[in-house]
Amino acid sequence: MPPAHHALTVRLPPAATGTALAAALTAAAELWWPGERLPRLWTETVAAPAGSDAAARRREAEARRPVAPGHRLRAVLLRYADGAGADLGPDLVLTADGAALDARSLRTVARVLRGELPPDAVTPHDGPLPLSPRLDGETRLHASALAVTVGRHTGAAWVRVAVPVPARDRPPYALGALDGYAVFAADLSPGRTVADLLATEPLTPAEGDEGGVVTLSDDPDTMSVPDRHVGRVRQQLLDLPPNTPLSALDPLSASESVEQLTLGVTPKAPAPGVTPKAPAPLRIDEAFAAQAAARPDAPALTAGPTTLSYAELDTRAEELADGLYAHGVRPGDLVGLCLPRSADLVAAMLGILKADAVHVPLDPEHPADRRERIARDAGVRLTVEDPAVLTGHPPRPAAERQGAGAPAYVIHTSGSTGRPKGVLVPHANVTALVDAVRDDFGLCPDDTWTCFHSAAFDFSVWEIWGALLTGGRLVVVDHWTTRSPRDFHALLVRERVSVLSQTPSAFTQLAAADRAAHVAPAPRLVVLGGEPLDARTLLDWFDRHPEDRCRLVNMYGITETTVHVTAATVTRREALTGSRSVGRALPGWSVRVLDPHGRPVPPGAPGEIHVGGAGVALGYLNRPALTAERFVPDVLDPAGRLYRSGDLGRLLADGSLEHLGRIDDQVKVRGFRIEPGEIRHVLLEDPAVSAAAVTVTGGEGGDAAAVRIDAYVVPAPGAGEDPGPVRERAARLLPPHMVPATVTVLPALPLTANGKLDPARLPTPGTRRAPAAAPRATAPATVLAGIWQEVLGVEAVGPDDDFWDLGGNSLYAIRIGTLARERGLPGVPLRQLYLTPTLGALSEALAQEA
Amino acid sequence: MTVGSAAPAAGGGGRLAGRTALITGAARGLGRACALAFAREGADLLLLDVAGELPGVPYPLGSSSQLAHTGRLCREAGSAVLTRQADVRDLAALESAAEAAEERFGRIDVLVNNAGIAAPSGRPAHEITEAEWQLMIDVDLGGAWRAIRAVGGRMAAQGSGSIVNIASTAGLVGYRHFAGYVAAKHGLVGLTKAVALDYAPRKVRVNAVCPGSVRDDEAMEGRMLAEIARSLEVPVAGHETAFVRDQPMNALVEPGDVADAVLWLASDESRQVTGSVVTVDGGFTAR
Repeated sequence: MPPAHHALTVRLPPAATGTALAAALTAAAELWWPGERLPRLWTETVAAPAGSDAAARRREAEARRPVAPGHRLRAVLLRYADGAGADLGPDLVLTADGAALDARSLRTVARVLRGELPPDAVTPHDGPLPLSPRLDGETRLHASALAVTVGRHTGAAWVRVAVPVPARDRPPYALGALDGYAVFAADLSPGRTVADLLATEPLTPAEGDEGGVVTLSDDPDTMSVPDRHVGRVRQQLLDLPPNTPLSALDPLSASESVEQLTLGVTPKAPAPGVTPKAPAPLRIDEAFAAQAAARPDAPALTAGPTTLSYAELDTRAEELADGLYAHGVRPGDLVGLCLPRSADLVAAMLGILKADAVHVPLDPEHPADRRERIARDAGVRLTVEDPAVLTGHPPRPAAERQGAGAPAYVIHTSGSTGRPKGVLVPHANVTALVDAVRDDFGLCPDDTWTCFHSAAFDFSVWEIWGALLTGGRLVVVDHWTTRSPRDFHALLVRERVSVLSQTPSAFTQLAAADRAAHVAPAPRLVVLGGEPLDARTLLDWFDRHPEDRCRLVNMYGITETTVHVTAATVTRREALTGSRSVGRALPGWSVRVLDPHGRPVPPGAPGEIHVGGAGVALGYLNRPALTAERFVPDVLDPAGRLYRSGDLGRLLADGSLEHLGRIDDQVKVRGFRIEPGEIRHVLLEDPAVSAAAVTVTGGEGGDAAAVRIDAYVVPAPGAGEDPGPVRERAARLLPPHMVPATVTVLPALPLTANGKLDPARLPTPGTRRAPAAAPRATAPATVLAGIWQEVLGVEAVGPDDDFWDLGGNSLYAIRIGTLARERGLPGVPLRQLYLTPTLGALSEALAQEA
Repeated sequence: MTVGSAAPAAGGGGRLAGRTALITGAARGLGRACALAFAREGADLLLLDVAGELPGVPYPLGSSSQLAHTGRLCREAGSAVLTRQADVRDLAALESAAEAAEERFGRIDVLVNNAGIAAPSGRPAHEITEAEWQLMIDVDLGGAWRAIRAVGGRMAAQGSGSIVNIASTAGLVGYRHFAGYVAAKHGLVGLTKAVALDYAPRKVRVNAVCPGSVRDDEAMEGRMLAEIARSLEVPVAGHETAFVRDQPMNALVEPGDVADAVLWLASDESRQVTGSVVTVDGGFTAR
């Protein structure tokens, strides 16, 4: 690790002449390195005064130049325009090959040339001397401070610092490359103290130590972290008692900390012409009432062939609210809501709010046991499963409703423990969310929105109230249509949907359907959310829907912070660069990136994303301990709280956030960090791949051999189904420890009911290939059988074989439908597969249709 | 003189900051123009010139005083400069110069093969003597190859470098009564392409610039155009007007125009350009 070369600039006495200096250099070199090529003394006249910038640049340039191959030393005498006759001497720049002379040898050479030391007092040495890897206090302190600072900037728990150390038995005035480097391997893991760190014993570098080492240097410009941060940690190491945990050290100054804390805060924009004093936040039902009063006859809700006006929806919701009262529901009660997506789902949701109660959506698609447990845990007063029982009741007595701070809904998210957590979200958060984006997104009564997502997934909160609180029309998408990208695409065209919300996974499938369709929908706004977006997958969409006609916004969000947190408009630029930015916090929201001790991380460093502001939920229902753990006090705002997201992120200098994945997902083996996101990124760069997923398993024990990375890819249209080239390409681009062991080709990635990737439903890794050119029979039944074999990966199928028994799922069903159309059969609607799941029955049904 | 639009290098920057260039024929003319352009863009320089008379060449070549003056101008522009007297027909002199440049500057990044003679010319092929033919080929073609021989291996070893051969429109088209010169410059274009392939895997680029009629700038002390005129027996007093008549753009090429092209080929801005010919002739060969 010695530097390639180093240089020393010394001022000579005014009397120094080039001739004398050259003679001294020749005499010394002949004595020290007999038989070698003699170094020359070069003289350069600088056409500027010694103190000028031009002269300083010249000195820098001379010091920076490498030494010619095969040369030990270069000596350059710099004479300046103002040098002659003045009491100012010329400068001598000595440069040496790092492998030939170390820094101290260079100083010795300078002393000899200045006449301070006779050349025969100096002994040249060949080869290295034993090093003394014992560090003095100052060096140890500096290395420790550097290690802590680098650790804080990179998030690493181990930092190795290369420290220049002198040779142990170096005689005085010895010449050569006698010094070397020791490795100061700093363990910064939790529990370590200042004393532990300062006691670290430096190691002699081992073979292959060059990688991943930070070099200790006196030159701040060569450091990877700001010098002031190292200096601050150094002072803390000196001042703090030895038993101080390392986590107590902080490289940031108070002002830097505040700067980092406020960087991700987006203030709520005051409405133009209105005094900055914010109006009292509204309840959801109040905000809806305002819209209904303003435009009672405007269409509010379309479900199938029926459309309700705002007044009709309001009336229906009132009726259901009366029914709830009749069934004993009182203000503050929790009411389960288990209805399929329909007009009554929305009306009942509104009715529950009108009854001043809290709705607890239960997805009818979820297993009954799960629904029951959630309802029981939440303590619901009743569950709305059949709206008919709520109709025909007398009006409930008029009563003052609670304020906007009262809870509006409880949405359950899966926890790592497996027990769902109910997130309690107040009215004000939802109305604040709509107000935060209303202007920027231009939301208005002309818009038509889809309600695509399950009521149990909070993306639907955005869809429903985004539409109904801005006077727009909400089109309810039924279950079967959400499962068929082709049908959904047709719905978008038919209903002239202008605002579309999708998870990136579902959007990829929709974009594929769009590619295949003759007519294109014309949404003006697409909101992507619910899972991390890889912007590269959007290029195709932009080709058909240019950004000036359809704005694409990626939103990062969490149920605990009311659907969304940040918004970033995605254009072709972001798609091409594969940007991971999710944008700035919404007006009224804030994002902070904090270390495990709640302090801001250094600028640009990774840390845990904390969300504050208008969207923070009340907490988890009946889980005070968990609430206290995840909802923490905000140091900047004593009244506010921050939600600890468990997501890893990085704040960029403009206050926008980069989302780096879940903290729990990170797998570290022997200091190597495996980043599933990065692997996926590389797979998606492959033009043959249109979607990709990566699983990392077996890393829990820290055993490198046990870690297994598997990749799943969906081929791009027209690309082959051979995973070999995909893996070969990935192997060229990824470090060996991150190359997937297998690449499995899938017709589509499995999604959860919420439209997110469902890792649990990824098949066991394999290298399934499409069967080689099976003979194409023409009889529809035979063609269909061939398609089943191909898609389901089974050897043979008979008429009684059941699609679901053969491992079929909705994605395979979509694939079967696509292949059937491609091969001249009528399309196979997903619904048909549920109705006639055996091959024989399905063939018959299709034959009748044809 | 004018050296294009490039602003003088501010601070330590510049398009050739930290680079070392070796320029032959640097005492005057295009060589001086290139040296100055390079100096302004932050390069350090080894300037070579024959700096003396060549028996058989019927006009005075660059002098050591002119070479020293180029060096002075470059130092004033901020360069570190080494000057050496060297005849491009002397391989040993070129090798020693390259060695010195490397020892002084650590590496050589750019070679500009600018040295060349325009005369003896002005006669049909059968009237050229053996000695005149040999001299022309030896200087204008052999000189470039010798400098490449001295420098190319070092560039290949360091895995980078840019070689710019100053050819001529005479490397692209014929000129009556200039058989030796035209043959040598065509040869130089061929040499450029062949050597470009030799060094391409080592990331050393080799290109040619083909200037047309370049005005003899006073500050550059150029006299090539005047000597060509003399060979053609055009009266030297009115020769510029005679040459302009053949220029589609109605103007002679300025030395700075050529230096700008050389600068571009020397810099990283042309990093995928190799084996190519950049013609700077005001449209002369487009016809």
